[in-house]
Amino acid sequence: MSAVSIVNAAAAAPLQVVLPEWTAIAPVLILALTGLLLLTIDAIWPGRNGNTTFAFVSALGSLAALTVTVWYLVAGTGQVGGSITLFSEAIVVDGMALFFTAIFTSVAALVVVASHDYLAGHENAASYYSLLMFATLGMALMAVSNSLATVFVSLEMASLPSYALVGFLKKNRGSVESSLKYFLIGALSSAVFAFGISLVYAVTGSLLLSEVAAGFDDGVAGFAGVAGIGVLMIAGGFAYKTASVPFHFWAPEAYEGAPAPISAFLSSASKAAGFVVAFRVFSTSFMPLLDATPAIDWALAFAVLAVVTMVLGNFAAATQENVKRMLAYSSIGHAGYALIGLAALTAGGPHNGDVMGAAMAHLLIYGFMNTGAFLFIAMVEYWGVGRTFEDYAGLSTKAPFASLAMAVFMFSLAGLPVFGGFFSKYALFASAVSAGFWWLAAVGAITSALSLYYYSRVVKALWIEQPNGNLDAIDSKPTGLYAAVIFAAVATVLLLPGFPIALETAEAAASALFA
Amino acid sequence: MAFEYVPAIVLLPFLSFVIALFAGKYLPKGGALAGIAATAGSLLLSIWAFLTVRSQGAYQETIYTWASGFGEQPWELTFGVLIDPLSAMMLVIVTLIATLVHVFSLGYMNDEGETGLPRYYAGLGLFTASMLGFVVADNLLMAFMFFELVGLCSYLLIGFWFREDGPPSAAKKAFLVTRFGDYFFLIGVVAVFSTFGTAAFVGAESFPVLAEEAVAGDVTVNTFGFDPTTWFTIVGLLVLGGVVGKSAQFPLHTWLPDAMEGPTPVSALIHAATMVAAGVYLVARMYGFYAVSPTALAIIAFIGGFTALFAATMGVVKREIKQVLAYSTISQYGYMMLALGAGGYVAATFHLMTHAFFKALLFLGAGSVIIAMHHNENMWDMGGLKDKMPVTYWTFLAGSLALAGIFPFSGFWSKDEVLYEALIHGLGGSPLLLGAYAMGLLAVPVTAFYTFRMVYLTFHGEPRTDTARNPEPVRWNVKFPLSVLGVLAVVAGLVNMVPVQKVLGLEGIDYLHQWLDQSFDPLTAHHYAEVSPYSSGYIGGEATTVLVGAAVSLGLALAGLLLATYLYNVAEPTEHTAKLGAIKDVLYNNYYQDEFQVWIANRTQSVASVADTFDQGVIDGVVNGVSSVSLFSGSRVRRIQTGVVTNYAALLTLGLTALLLAFGLLGGWFL
Repeated sequence: MSAVSIVNAAAAAPLQVVLPEWTAIAPVLILALTGLLLLTIDAIWPGRNGNTTFAFVSALGSLAALTVTVWYLVAGTGQVGGSITLFSEAIVVDGMALFFTAIFTSVAALVVVASHDYLAGHENAASYYSLLMFATLGMALMAVSNSLATVFVSLEMASLPSYALVGFLKKNRGSVESSLKYFLIGALSSAVFAFGISLVYAVTGSLLLSEVAAGFDDGVAGFAGVAGIGVLMIAGGFAYKTASVPFHFWAPEAYEGAPAPISAFLSSASKAAGFVVAFRVFSTSFMPLLDATPAIDWALAFAVLAVVTMVLGNFAAATQENVKRMLAYSSIGHAGYALIGLAALTAGGPHNGDVMGAAMAHLLIYGFMNTGAFLFIAMVEYWGVGRTFEDYAGLSTKAPFASLAMAVFMFSLAGLPVFGGFFSKYALFASAVSAGFWWLAAVGAITSALSLYYYSRVVKALWIEQPNGNLDAIDSKPTGLYAAVIFAAVATVLLLPGFPIALETAEAAASALFA
Repeated sequence: MAFEYVPAIVLLPFLSFVIALFAGKYLPKGGALAGIAATAGSLLLSIWAFLTVRSQGAYQETIYTWASGFGEQPWELTFGVLIDPLSAMMLVIVTLIATLVHVFSLGYMNDEGETGLPRYYAGLGLFTASMLGFVVADNLLMAFMFFELVGLCSYLLIGFWFREDGPPSAAKKAFLVTRFGDYFFLIGVVAVFSTFGTAAFVGAESFPVLAEEAVAGDVTVNTFGFDPTTWFTIVGLLVLGGVVGKSAQFPLHTWLPDAMEGPTPVSALIHAATMVAAGVYLVARMYGFYAVSPTALAIIAFIGGFTALFAATMGVVKREIKQVLAYSTISQYGYMMLALGAGGYVAATFHLMTHAFFKALLFLGAGSVIIAMHHNENMWDMGGLKDKMPVTYWTFLAGSLALAGIFPFSGFWSKDEVLYEALIHGLGGSPLLLGAYAMGLLAVPVTAFYTFRMVYLTFHGEPRTDTARNPEPVRWNVKFPLSVLGVLAVVAGLVNMVPVQKVLGLEGIDYLHQWLDQSFDPLTAHHYAEVSPYSSGYIGGEATTVLVGAAVSLGLALAGLLLATYLYNVAEPTEHTAKLGAIKDVLYNNYYQDEFQVWIANRTQSVASVADTFDQGVIDGVVNGVSSVSLFSGSRVRRIQTGVVTNYAALLTLGLTALLLAFGLLGGWFL
């Protein structure tokens, strides 16, 4: 295709706008420009406490990127008439890339709005917001990466600002310590990941995903060991980014130590970024390996990881006393659910698109409900109420709307009907069953049932238990945090009626990869 | 035309629920006026729909498909309305009684200065709306959903005075016991879906029609390896579980007497038109399905007959006026079940209608007495109220005569037809039905006895307390509903004078029979008669049988009445229950039903503990049990999370290595 055609897919183009091809990565460019603009503003007016300005600019930037993304998504860019590739195929824009970019930018916008209160009076606001924008940029690049080189670079691009953001509270020991751990584990994982890439390159002679697939098409006879180790090491790199077992160790510490809005950002957007790139690499390049001889059954490896991750994440979450840490483990558990999207793939399977699409839709809903939950934690931290379940007792008497929103997040995360999380989990498990992986769905359902236990503990503390006298500290209403939490709750609820559309979009985008 | 407004019949009371809930405290009378307006509006629309059915025939429309399947089983879950003679008649009954109950509540709740009125009227509105939604439902799943809503509302209303001890416990009991039955109902709904792929009540592809054709061998449905008739019996009995719970039939009747803890107008609504009626109405609604299964019908008839007699005997010794009425309700619904089981579809519907009027009347009358007695319900503290409250007395008397089945009050006609259907079908080669008939017949004198014992103790004789000497007067808002229902209790029987027709040979005065024949083809009364497995037998001729049956039941009713008159219609009645000896205690304690259930609960501990272990170990073991395991293993996980980053790096590397080795060796990569 010579130009980006923004065409109404159904009708014969009543409104046709033709843009240059490079505009397909406009969301990425907008995020980059926003980050740079923040640095410029800080350079021109240094020392001025521009928290509000920076927040405003970042919010505008992420919302602009979101708007363009959704516009492209609706108009069919990269979907009608095939995907758009740029820079010698190193970059690809298609339905899946846009779908995930929409998740990243929405989460970023929520986090930016919420951070405004959290950072009030803080120095270096500019660095915070620009790091946030650059991290989002890295994720958006991950979504469009079409070569193992860009995959690696963009993954690091998303990771490095994240390390800095986790350690942003420089005077807080927990924040600094968790940042260092995050960095060390990240470095180790990156090494594993890079090694895996080099092994795959050794077998196929290319880094472009399509050429890697072509290289594997002829089978891997004689190189099975090299290829297999390479593929599993790449899987390990993604497991790190998605906080899946056994690469999850950084997550509880980083989520707990980081400023709560950053925890929200990492556990929702960063995790989704890990998944988009994993989905793309494995579905584009490594599908031939599933039925090669000897087979490199990475899907089974993901199945093992999914089961272990679901079980471990949910079990560990059940024993926590600290709400933020509980959420950290629950987010690990949710990585296990999304891994089903890779684990239930089969060579030439008719349900591949459904399974992966359902996982994508789950990540979308998860983006809102999990971000909202962490932002609620941010609000509680802002009030200085405390971190454990007991400290949360009776919060609904002081903050009924926020507590209601939190109840929505918790029940939705648990997958109770009448909330968005129910449908996404249902679609995920149902597609896994129809793909023949009923045992994955069973483990998912059982661990979901368990998760209800610890999620409802939060709701019980908020709504049923009596306040124990520590709530007097609540004297202000952080507007931005409130707005973000309520918006996330509304989105979680609205994604109930809107879920069929989201699922349809996701399945169409995923099916395009298997076409 | 009128049918387009049918959803409004359901939505109007729902609107009043919303108004009362959110704006009730700002409105005068706590939302009562909105409720009266809404239910009166529904009543008018129902009458319009009724008249339209009369002129244009029945009507069915699917309003909303809220889920549709794909692939091999294109199931559709829908909301729709089915307005046929049966539902149109029920709509009028429910809306009429709901309106009157709302008006009565002005006197019973507002004038008595109750608090929490918005909650009360919100509950009434939702209750009415749920029942109306249930009545118009055109498929079993929708019916189930509204059935559950009805149960929920009854819970809310029975427990209205939740600060006292009794009501919350009674509400819980009502909820749990009916829920027990509803479990079976739910399984039944799923079974109907998996058998027929549809739960529609009407149409060529509806499940009663498919069942009939499957029994005839014209179509095959998935009967899970059973013979079709056997399987339909099983499914029918599963659904019947919900009916037995809601309609308070033996052995799930124990919630109903306790439900008297609720406000009296609510009792009237529950007993006459809504919750309890829902069960019987459901059987009538899907009667075509039951008609293909002789076993299910026989079981229904037996449960009904037994409950009729059993509950009536317990009503004999009660001291509280509402308790007597509670047992009479159970007993009367037993008659309806008997009629349904005996192939008397019209008779059951007929009794449902007349009972709705006279039982609502009796409850509201009892409410009036309770107002007068300053909420003392013990009949032994009353007496002599006849002269102080004439409107209540005369209407209550009309209701009592109807309940006792005395000619020519409405209850006589309907009860007589119930017993007549059981008799002729029993004589026609179904001796089992004769047993059910005998129990129903034996219940007649008992009913008359406890009814008039209640009347005499309450209204006749000398006042036995100061309150009874100076009762509190009641206002128009109590007397008006009583008068309307009083008239209906007297004349409602005239819509179906089958005995007169049979004896005198007057054609065309069985209006209800003709009316219920106007429905869609497979939902008509004569179609049910064709499908049902019974044939008729007579003593002598048909007219003779009618006369004999009527004479026997009327004679027994009069005998019961006279005995009550002899014992209690005296200036200073005394308790005669001591003469019953040991039986008295048995009756007074309801045959130790509650104790029995507790005893079962305790005695079956070994079974229960197995079930409990199963529940804890397997079901909850997957939920709670996993969590207790997980608390342990979770703490292990916590231990893995040491906080030392070198440990993490080591574990990470080990994990990856294990994964690589396992897959490499099993996958044969290194060969």
